[in-house]
Amino acid sequence: MARKPRDNEHTCPHGVSRRGFLGSLGAGAVAAATLGRPGETAPPEVADAVEPSKVTLLVNGRRHRLLVEPRWTLLHVLRERLGLTGSKPGCERGECGACTVLIDGVPRYACLTLALEAEGHEVTTIEGLMRGEELGPTQQAFAAEDAFQCGYCTPGQIMAAEGLLRAKPAPTVAEIRLGMSGNLCRCGAYPHIVKAVRRAAEARKGGGR
Amino acid sequence: MTSHLEPVPGPLGGRHPRIDAAAKVTGSTRYVADLALPGMLHAALATATVASARVLGVDTAAARAHADVVAVLTAADVPANSIGVIFGDQPLLVTDRVRMVGDRFALVAARTAEAAWTAARLVGASLEELPGVFDPVAAVADDAPLVNGASNVFRTFHVQRGDTAKQAKRAAVVVEAEYRVGGQDHAYLEPQGCLAIPEGRERITIVASCQCPFYIQQGVASVLGLPLAAVRVEQAPTGGGFGGKEDYPTEPAACAALLAWHTGHPVRLIYPRELDLQATTKRHAMVVRHRWGADRAGRLRFAEVETFMDAGAYVGLSTVVAERANVSAIGPYHVGAVRVATHVVYTNNLFGGAFRGFGAPQVTWAAEATMDKLATRLGMDPVELRRVNVLDDTRRTICTGQRLRTPVLAREVLDRAVELAGWDGFRAAPPAADGAWRHGMGVSLVLYGCNLHWGGQRLDRSSAVVILQADGSVVVRVGLTEMGQGNLTACQTVAAAALGVDPSQVQVWQPDTTTVADSGPTVASRGSLMSGRAILDAVRRLRVRLDPVAAELLGCRPGEVELAGGFARVAGSPERAVAMQAVAKEMSARRIETIATGWHRTKARRFDPATGQGAPYEFYAMACHVARVAVDPGLGIVRVEEVTAAHDVGRVLHRDALEGQIHGGVVQGMGWGVSEELRLDRGRLVNPNFTDYVIPTSADAPRITIALVESDSEAGPCGAKGIGEPSFIPTAAAVRNAVCDALGVEVDTLPLTPPRLVEALGERHPFAWVVEAATRPATEHEPATVGPRA
Ligand code: FES
Ligand code: FES
Repeated sequence: MARKPRDNEHTCPHGVSRRGFLGSLGAGAVAAATLGRPGETAPPEVADAVEPSKVTLLVNGRRHRLLVEPRWTLLHVLRERLGLTGSKPGCERGECGACTVLIDGVPRYACLTLALEAEGHEVTTIEGLMRGEELGPTQQAFAAEDAFQCGYCTPGQIMAAEGLLRAKPAPTVAEIRLGMSGNLCRCGAYPHIVKAVRRAAEARKGGGR
Repeated sequence: MTSHLEPVPGPLGGRHPRIDAAAKVTGSTRYVADLALPGMLHAALATATVASARVLGVDTAAARAHADVVAVLTAADVPANSIGVIFGDQPLLVTDRVRMVGDRFALVAARTAEAAWTAARLVGASLEELPGVFDPVAAVADDAPLVNGASNVFRTFHVQRGDTAKQAKRAAVVVEAEYRVGGQDHAYLEPQGCLAIPEGRERITIVASCQCPFYIQQGVASVLGLPLAAVRVEQAPTGGGFGGKEDYPTEPAACAALLAWHTGHPVRLIYPRELDLQATTKRHAMVVRHRWGADRAGRLRFAEVETFMDAGAYVGLSTVVAERANVSAIGPYHVGAVRVATHVVYTNNLFGGAFRGFGAPQVTWAAEATMDKLATRLGMDPVELRRVNVLDDTRRTICTGQRLRTPVLAREVLDRAVELAGWDGFRAAPPAADGAWRHGMGVSLVLYGCNLHWGGQRLDRSSAVVILQADGSVVVRVGLTEMGQGNLTACQTVAAAALGVDPSQVQVWQPDTTTVADSGPTVASRGSLMSGRAILDAVRRLRVRLDPVAAELLGCRPGEVELAGGFARVAGSPERAVAMQAVAKEMSARRIETIATGWHRTKARRFDPATGQGAPYEFYAMACHVARVAVDPGLGIVRVEEVTAAHDVGRVLHRDALEGQIHGGVVQGMGWGVSEELRLDRGRLVNPNFTDYVIPTSADAPRITIALVESDSEAGPCGAKGIGEPSFIPTAAAVRNAVCDALGVEVDTLPLTPPRLVEALGERHPFAWVVEAATRPATEHEPATVGPRA
């Protein structure tokens, strides 16, 4: 919206154009935001491609067969179709990390991933980290180190930590700070988050997964 | 001095896991966006993208025609179209006039969120643009366009103490400065959201992400024309607030309530991030003018402060914010004569609201900058100058004439922070520049009033309910909210300590306006202390019935019963004990009332608003932050390496949560000071996203070293003082002073973004010679070699 010629906008005859201002909303519309900046018209073939397709998603070890519109994000499908509301929408444009899930063990923003893209891959959400009734080691570490305040970023942080530790089982503090920097925490729980990731690394060494 | 106390045994001051830990690490906490009901509709708002215009008409036909749309409402559909928290200067939906970006034309309810927002974009408003005013100083000019009412200056607050003209004659140095302190967005990670559930035309429930359910209750009742008792507000688990969910959530709640009322369906409204950044309240931008003088010895002789506070287009809470800014303008220093004027000014910018610190951070930033300027002019160490002026037990009168209760720990926090940060060593031998990076250290103090200001004291009360269950477990309800700061856990801790049971036995449930009486807002760092005191009162009343039963079981007198370790026991002979479960079971068997209510209100105080003299707050907390930074002068990049935070906290309730508050305050304060810039173009935010509005990540967060100065005072429950805001206020000022120390120039505009620092360096910028060489008049013949200045 910042790029629109300002004069044109202020004199728009039939009121003010709101195009773009509310551009990246609603779960479905997010796909448009990933294709172009709000304010740019999405290519018509995308706008028309609303025919749902059948997909099979593998989420937390379970197979789900679903009808999915091509522009739906994985975040939308997880939350609204599968009832897995642990992954949070914070910005729906890849800027905050609240929606982080693992795809084949690698942290990904579910708001920037189309549900269709996830087919054939293994998706893990915060709900998938439990070991039966017990918290997983990373979850335990976050609870023990008080690595959260409001908790809204927490599922995303834990998934990011999980991904980081799978790739790098013994990260240094500098690596943790950098590795976790794709996940905003407005409560500023970072010092405790770093401690929690270190603790989780220790716990996993001792036989965690 | 009563610091360095031994920890108290029991849950107080400990680190037991928070009450909500398991839910939050498993993703099972249900925030409002995670709640859905059968038949639920989704709401969307049609809003203005210009800041000042006349509304010629609102056309909703296209929106109504959208297949999934169920209702489109305009101002004509609102029973009472006014939403201001204190003053009625804001319509819920605009009719004739747009005063700021984000003003609402229409509300839409549809079967999907996507359809609702698509339809909202189809609402056409015919507008005739009007001139606007976008600077609080420009807005007070006689010829400035009027924003809202007969004058752009809505109100002015004063502090007047002593004779500044006379004292000015004794000043050896005088600093005059104008500070431009920018605003800030709360950027709570969970956007604004609520769910409205109507029950016929009788009553309505609102589940909202919010700090102040009672504000929402009043707002919704007034918009729908319902009695307060017909509006039930339950706080949903809230993903961060920081003040942004104090006053503002009443607006989305009223919108959802209207749509629910009209359609008869539950309606959920969740703000998309872009709208949340674009349309919600902000920390007030302020222009602060200073004239402060000190004598040769560094003693402050007088201080004059004039502040122009950018309220935006609607007053909201601005007058209350101004009250705090007004009496916080001098900080914890002793000054002979003071004159403060704080103007609340309308502009067509986004409106200001509550935000952690509530007006104090901006004036503290200015005061601490002036202290450093005075130190430079006097050739004194900045810490030394502060030591000469800081309040302590012997000199404890603040600028409002209020004598503080002892212990006054401002000097103590200063000394502790400075020592821990290694100030003297750093000053004696500053680290050499490493590569481009230059190092600096800065200090800042704060005096924070731990309650609502005198002007809001009618709201300064709090309610609690304690229910002893038949199995000995305990339910606690309070009227103040949890938003990440740990209020549920603090309440759990206090109740557990008072009943002598393990915290795991106590469940504190989310606030609901039908379970407790109006407890005022959860703001001003008052949550734990106000709820805690009310809980203690409830436990006291419960024990009137509990102790006789326990005494009977124990075979002692009721006055001898004490509760500890999960037992009721005879004071002095702990071996004579009976488990709390047994007492609860007995009370239940005998049908004795096991529910008790509690109440707390702050002491009435005297204050004269005309002169700003009196007791604006009941008691105060002090804090001192020292920041160590590295600055790259070529690029203007600031790296905050360490913040040392010393806090006067009274007694610690929960150590992890307390430290968490300090961490969060420091990180958010650093963001405000360095990177978070609200870039407004004629009232419209041009960076409404997290790529361009830059909040700190884990890689930016500094090392944070904490010193807690504990004391026994008559503060909150078990002596606790608020921490949420004192942890935020000094950081940005300390960072500013450190950056100026590193660069050797003064920067009087916040935030300290790279372009600002490069500009402030001017001729001292490492590449200034390039610009100079390029712009030098061609006629001048100089040697062919060019290079940086010495
Ligand atoms: S919601 Fe996906 S990154 Fe913010
Ligand atoms: S805990 Fe609140 S955003 Fe991280």
